[in-house]
Amino acid sequence: MIESILLVDDETLFHLVFEDACSLLDISLSLKSVKSSDEAAKMFKEWYETNNTKDKPECVFVDLNLIGSAFDGIELVRKINFEYGNHVIIGIISSSNDADEQAKALQAGAQFWLVKSDEIEPRLEEFKLDYPKYLNRQQPFKVYK
Amino acid sequence: MIKLDKQAKEQLISLYETKNIGLEGNILRLFDVEGDNEFEKYITKCIEEDKNTRRIRLSITKKIQSQNNELNELNEENIRILSELNETLEIVESDKLTYEVQNRELNEWKLENIRLTEELKNEMVKSEQARISAETAKENAENDLDIIQKRNQTELISIIVKVALWMIIGVGIITTLVYIITLVMDKDTQVISAAWANMFGILLTNAFSIVGTIMGIKYASKNDC
Repeated sequence: MIESILLVDDETLFHLVFEDACSLLDISLSLKSVKSSDEAAKMFKEWYETNNTKDKPECVFVDLNLIGSAFDGIELVRKINFEYGNHVIIGIISSSNDADEQAKALQAGAQFWLVKSDEIEPRLEEFKLDYPKYLNRQQPFKVYK
Repeated sequence: MIKLDKQAKEQLISLYETKNIGLEGNILRLFDVEGDNEFEKYITKCIEEDKNTRRIRLSITKKIQSQNNELNELNEENIRILSELNETLEIVESDKLTYEVQNRELNEWKLENIRLTEELKNEMVKSEQARISAETAKENAENDLDIIQKRNQTELISIIVKVALWMIIGVGIITTLVYIITLVMDKDTQVISAAWANMFGILLTNAFSIVGTIMGIKYASKNDC
């Protein structure tokens, strides 16, 4: 089970879907959701600068297109990985399955790409099974579609 | 893990049995049941109910999300249609302006055409008038030429007649003088008198004829002018 998850997604309804799906699948005990990349970047910056890892999530799911944010999901992944220290399992969750975007995400340091759709549970379950390998940094970049 | 004392566990179980109020959420996974079967059963039931509730909520949320997506798609479609409609309206407006300009130009051309037709008609009338004038002038010129020719002929005839008259008068005078001289000189006048008488008769006859001709020519000349 994942210790704690942070979901960055501009769609509030998806927060509920993701929370319920994670709970039903026993994926995580703790889940926090934010609506913008700015908010998430601010949190990671603070954790990085204060070196306080108390509330820091273990795994981060970032939406690709974040409406109302200063930058998109891939840029957030890059910032978290290269500016605020790479100590989290981080990946993109998006309705897009575009190979170019996936390549960009990989370059930014994303470890997975989970395709968002109505039936998200099977993908989350597969992710849950792979999760120990992510923790051990043995899992290569994977697309869950 | 969270450990509860026996009293707390009993209170939680009693609350669930009497009022159907149970614990919810991920906290249920953090309790240590410590071999308490009854509490373990309570936790299991609560987890099951929590999952049922979440399943129902997830289903509803997904439906709402799906409806939202459909509404968003419809909204986007509406925006697209509206945009297309606006573009079409702009094109129609632009076409209308073009047609108006073309129509105005056509009207201007039509008016110009009417004006040119009128001018052409006027020019044709003028041309016809000029043609008639030219024909009249030609006829006049021909008449004038004819008159001039006739006048010249008349003048020529008049000169010839006058010369002839003067010759007759001259011949008459000479013959008369010769006759007078013959009488004065008392010479034989038989021949000369006969000749003079004949001559005079012929001359008078011819003179009348010539005078008549002159009168006729004068009369003709008067009529021609």
